[in-house]
Amino acid sequence: MVIVKRKTLSLAERLYLPEVVRGLSITFRKLFQPKITRQYPEDPLPTTSVTRGQPRLVVKDDGNIACVSCGLCEAACPAYAITIDGHETDRSIEREPEEFQIDMLRCILCGFCEEACPKDAIFMSNELELADTTRSALVYDLERLKRPAAALAERMDYIKRINKRWQTSSST
Amino acid sequence: MSETVTITLNGREVEADPKKPLIAACHEHGEAVPHYCYHPGLTPVGSCRICQVQVKQGEAPPRTVAACRTPVAAGMVVDTEAAPAHEARRQCLEFLLKNHPLDCPICDKAGECTLQDYAFQEGQGKGRSVEPRRKLPKRKDLGEVILLDNERCILCSRCVRFMEEVPKTPQLCIAGRGSHSTVETWNDQPLTGNYQGNLADVCPVGALTLRKFRFQARVWNLLKVASTCPGCSRGCAVTVEVLRHGALKRVRPRHEPAVNGWWMCDQGRFGFEDANRPDRLAGGALRSQSGGWEAVPTDAALETTRDMFAVHGEARIVASPFVTVEEGRELAALAKTIGCRPVFVSPPPNEWADDLLHTGDPAPNRRGLSELGFEALPPDEILARVGEVEVVLLVGERVADLIGREAVAALPEALRVILMDEALVDSPAVDVAIGVPNYIERTGTWINVDGHAGRLNPARPAPPQTWTLVRSLDYLHTLLHTEPQGARR
Ligand code: SF4
Ligand code: SF4
Ligand code: SF4
Ligand code: FES
Repeated sequence: MVIVKRKTLSLAERLYLPEVVRGLSITFRKLFQPKITRQYPEDPLPTTSVTRGQPRLVVKDDGNIACVSCGLCEAACPAYAITIDGHETDRSIEREPEEFQIDMLRCILCGFCEEACPKDAIFMSNELELADTTRSALVYDLERLKRPAAALAERMDYIKRINKRWQTSSST
Repeated sequence: MSETVTITLNGREVEADPKKPLIAACHEHGEAVPHYCYHPGLTPVGSCRICQVQVKQGEAPPRTVAACRTPVAAGMVVDTEAAPAHEARRQCLEFLLKNHPLDCPICDKAGECTLQDYAFQEGQGKGRSVEPRRKLPKRKDLGEVILLDNERCILCSRCVRFMEEVPKTPQLCIAGRGSHSTVETWNDQPLTGNYQGNLADVCPVGALTLRKFRFQARVWNLLKVASTCPGCSRGCAVTVEVLRHGALKRVRPRHEPAVNGWWMCDQGRFGFEDANRPDRLAGGALRSQSGGWEAVPTDAALETTRDMFAVHGEARIVASPFVTVEEGRELAALAKTIGCRPVFVSPPPNEWADDLLHTGDPAPNRRGLSELGFEALPPDEILARVGEVEVVLLVGERVADLIGREAVAALPEALRVILMDEALVDSPAVDVAIGVPNYIERTGTWINVDGHAGRLNPARPAPPQTWTLVRSLDYLHTLLHTEPQGARR
């Protein structure tokens, strides 16, 4: 059992009015200071390369998807959000995804898929917004996940830098 | 068990068979000696050298030897983890990987590739060679079944030996010398025969892959369940592999010395479309007066069946040869109650019989059902016999297919036909249809041609509301022992 000791109020506190004045003075002081609230969504937060938004798939400059449907991100995903089915291509890279689904309701934005990918094909974009009216609309398919490489370039550079640092520090 | 001798393996005294190579003794006693060219079902050649271990015999200093080419001898002292052996294996691995393409993300073998496993376990993270890797054909056509990727091949020659030793139709060879060696067929002819699929299993890497399984699934996503091949009365022990509790994607042989050894035929390996058929019947269905089908729960369909048996005269039970021994017992008891001798459909032999595995008899449980007192009748005979009676129960996976769907559809309308099969035959001839699980959805036993029991195990759930056949038959039998409540039709 815990005994909570009641604070005995001083006379000024018991008079009530001085405390009201003290409180209101803060209100009025803040009223004339610059605003720190943000008019979201008209005024979104700036994102940087460190922002870990929703995963997106890279479409290379030649128009082909970078993903080879190897399933490593699917295996790495701790939330079982990814489902992939592959099929054969005529290119020298023999396989590409036929269907690639990420259930954005399951995705916890951990970035494991980005880390697992051997082909630099999936990156955490700077896209953060996620809202819809049905659950099925939030299971993103291949077409909704594709992004041109340029749109993800900043993040790709950042990850490459991080990886290089990790490699050099672990080999010594 | 033949004579054994005692050897010392990593400090333990163990018994080993002197007729087998040392590597077999190591594996038997739980030492994971890597191997690429050695396969327990083929003659060892000792070409890859990844299985090197240290052996000391008598007073001679210890030597590093290839465990797959060294016979077991009494008094050997074997150390699989000795530093020189380890170093020899590491060097060997480095050379194997020197020209190996970094294909794992695309390779169908990834996940069950021993080269990948051992490189992960022992290999170094970075290759030291600066020379460009060998460029070779990557999609070489070896016929209907197999595709060859020459870059991935590690020249273990297992495939060559398999073709020579198992189906005894040598068709592959290793052509060229040194780093120009490649696996080839004579004049690039396609491979032939009913055992090509095994090549993809014996190849330790992803050089020989199955066309039908190409890029179908990542192997770690497959649920692998021990089962029995339904292709013929040999009943090869197999593993059925389903993707995400759904489609059957691949069938592979499971080692069973008394039946199939390590192998299976292509007819069995690829003949599984039926397991993935889209037109499955879930629960029961009754033919309505208007001619359509009314979906009903299985128990309601079985109650209607009971009424037919009770109200109409002579009845027959016709089983599919896919009916298991357990289901067969229920059927035999049911047949006794309604007073008839059960029969099973005996399809005509096919052209695949050979002296290796395939028996040419497409009835996997012929022996089991015969021993239960079922009479084997060819489809036309069955059609002639059911013409004489009033009610017929066609029961078991694929029974309509084996009799002929058209023939079932053309049965006289006066005959009451109850069909317990995977799918409906949409014809006025059929009065009641009840869905049953297929061979990858149920447990059971088939007895093969030599009397060996092959087990079936469920790899995925049956369609919703579908009862196992044993449960349905048991329920029907219980109903028949209670007083009929009056015909419903
Ligand atoms: S890990 Fe990369 S290449 Fe592999 S399936 Fe995922 S996105 Fe595609
Ligand atoms: S194709 Fe496979 S089985 Fe044949 S030699 Fe090459 S690695 Fe060995
Ligand atoms: S021999 Fe018969 S049982 Fe064996 S795999 Fe072939 S069809 Fe199946
Ligand atoms: S496994 Fe022994 S040399 Fe290849």
